[in-house]
Amino acid sequence: MIKQDNATIIWNRSLAGTVYSMGLTCSSAYQSAVPGQFVMVQTNKDLQPLLRRPFSISSIVGNQQLPKAIELLYKVVGKGTGRLSGLKPGQQLSLLGPLGKGFAIDPRRQTHYLAAGGIGVAPIRFLAQYMKSIGIDTSCIRVFIGGQSQDDLLCQADFEALGIRATITTDDGSAGDQCLITDPLAQAVQKHPPDMVYACGPRGMLACVAGIARQYNVACQVSIETMMACGIGACLGCAVQLSQEGQSYLHACLDGPVFDAKLLAL
Amino acid sequence: MTTCDLSVNIGGLELKNPVLTASGTFGYAKEFETIFDLNRLGGIIVKGLSLMPSKGNAPPRIVETSCGMLNAIGLENAGLDAFISDKLPFLKNLKTPVLANIYGTGIEAYAELAARLNDIEGISAIEVNISCPNVKEGGIAFGANASTAGKVTEAVRKNYQGPLIVKLSPNVTDITCIAKSVQDSGADAVSLINTITAMAVDIHTRRPKLANITGGLSGPAIKPVAVRMVWQTAQAINIPIIGVGGIMTAGDALEFIIAGASAVQVGTANFVNPLAAIEIIEGIEAYLAQQSLTSVRSLIGCLQV
Ligand SMILES: Cc1cc2nc3c(=O)[nH]c(=O)nc-3n(C[C@H](O)[C@H](O)[C@H](O)COP(=O)(O)OP(=O)(O)OC[C@H]3O[C@@H](n4cnc5c(N)ncnc54)[C@H](O)[C@@H]3O)c2cc1C
Ligand SMILES: Cc1cc2nc3c(=O)[nH]c(=O)nc-3n(C[C@H](O)[C@H](O)[C@H](O)COP(=O)(O)O)c2cc1C
Ligand code: FES
Repeated sequence: MIKQDNATIIWNRSLAGTVYSMGLTCSSAYQSAVPGQFVMVQTNKDLQPLLRRPFSISSIVGNQQLPKAIELLYKVVGKGTGRLSGLKPGQQLSLLGPLGKGFAIDPRRQTHYLAAGGIGVAPIRFLAQYMKSIGIDTSCIRVFIGGQSQDDLLCQADFEALGIRATITTDDGSAGDQCLITDPLAQAVQKHPPDMVYACGPRGMLACVAGIARQYNVACQVSIETMMACGIGACLGCAVQLSQEGQSYLHACLDGPVFDAKLLAL
Repeated sequence: MTTCDLSVNIGGLELKNPVLTASGTFGYAKEFETIFDLNRLGGIIVKGLSLMPSKGNAPPRIVETSCGMLNAIGLENAGLDAFISDKLPFLKNLKTPVLANIYGTGIEAYAELAARLNDIEGISAIEVNISCPNVKEGGIAFGANASTAGKVTEAVRKNYQGPLIVKLSPNVTDITCIAKSVQDSGADAVSLINTITAMAVDIHTRRPKLANITGGLSGPAIKPVAVRMVWQTAQAINIPIIGVGGIMTAGDALEFIIAGASAVQVGTANFVNPLAAIEIIEGIEAYLAQQSLTSVRSLIGCLQV
């Protein structure tokens, strides 16, 4: 159920470079939160910037029955995220959520490949934690994390702590192989096709992941970003172009942000 | 606290308070159901409705600007039949008036929409959006000149018995001429303003930020323009005016009322703060109490110049 809460910041710290982790108190509305869902955050009560900003839920602290806090991972890219990075524990933020449709997870499926590009790791980490919590054997999950440099490789230790094998790459070779994350993913999909690929990252990466999945006939879900004004289906600003010409648009905040990759024109 | 009378009458439409939600910014109200009690609103104006389904414009459809936003949604909606079967049952059960906002690509389409809405239960009034392009007349907006604005109003009036509100476009040389024309053609009230045509350019790609190239500016940036137009229009006509444009707080709403609006609509603010409309109602009530006024009606058009 969607609620607006005045959440209190519990922590707000830099993880690496311009990426921050923020913990926010949350209401019982987040009992039902699933990976891939997001929140709309008012970054400044003074309306500078005017619109709320969307962020994926990157983990839930406490257990699903009694959620204590949600964690956001964010990269400072402009006004709103810049303003967030300066906030201190104890300050309040208006939070609207949980929003959207998350990843569809079928526990009967055998193997799961997760792919994250840069800050796209945020929902992927929640996905991994959630999969473990519903009893999926984490040795059947693999994660592929790509970034521009070492600073962008986030949460590797979190995945490993869950018992998930992580493969990393960077554009500049500062950690892991110097290549795109889709290279090792393509090899792995070819060798051991999983039952599902789940991905979040830049558009180009998602297009490539969707291509790999199509090539090897593997199901694939992607979490995408669009401009959003409301996050709740009221403005129709978040239209998403579909792969089939002439179809009406879907809306990222209602029908997504997670979509079956086959549906989208990526 | 003494209880203040917030009720107003807009061309025959009784509202328990003067705060409505603006078309296209409040979906079909159900989107806000879990956030607050919808029945507290003075009224709800639903997303623009056409006879046939309309897909809307390609993305990107919105972009933020200084103190505002541009949108080029392109009036996406599922059409009248889908509205009646999927959205109306929920709206009918609300204890606050629901207004349909309609648009067409020709005068006949407006007339037919009006006729069909006249016969259905659960819609308390219609608001006619005349800011959309007139396909037959080379795509110039119906609201861009007094004669076509009057013709649309007449056509709708003929087929609709309930309160008829015409929503005026600010993209005109003299909004008071259009207001007079729709008044003479049978409108019971006018609402203003719709968004201001605008655009934004991405200097890195050297392309427009909206796929549609131009869009409509809304939010705090347009409030002074809207207040000015409400004030000028209030001098020119004698049917009620609903003020719209950049209202974020009760203070903003009161500016419009003092300038001559009998009610207001809250638009972009619903995105920023979904409780905005409720906070505005409470704020108006607090202002009346603090000023020892018993009715909001005594404020309408009380501007001293
Ligand atoms: C469903 C969803 C989930 C998201 N989850 C996260 C997350 O977990 N962590 C995170 O760091 N970011 C996430 N984002 C992106 C985040 O919302 C934007 O980075 C943020 O809105 C930028 O705000 P700003 O004011 O700092 O930047 P602005 O000043 O608005 O813009 C600065 C630059 O950032 C780019 N930008 C702005 N908005 C977006 C956007 N929506 N998508 C892509 N680029 C944008 C623009 O191109 C601009 O040049 C998510 C977006 C969506 C739609
Ligand atoms: C995303 C969006 C969609 C809108 N859709 C409609 C619409 O369907 N019909 C209409 O008459 N006005 C529409 N409007 C205009 C608003 O109802 C309102 O007149 C305008 O936004 C100015 O008010 P504001 O500054 O408070 O938002 C829309 C505005 C926005 C921002
Ligand atoms: S962001 Fe407003 S409808 Fe999706």
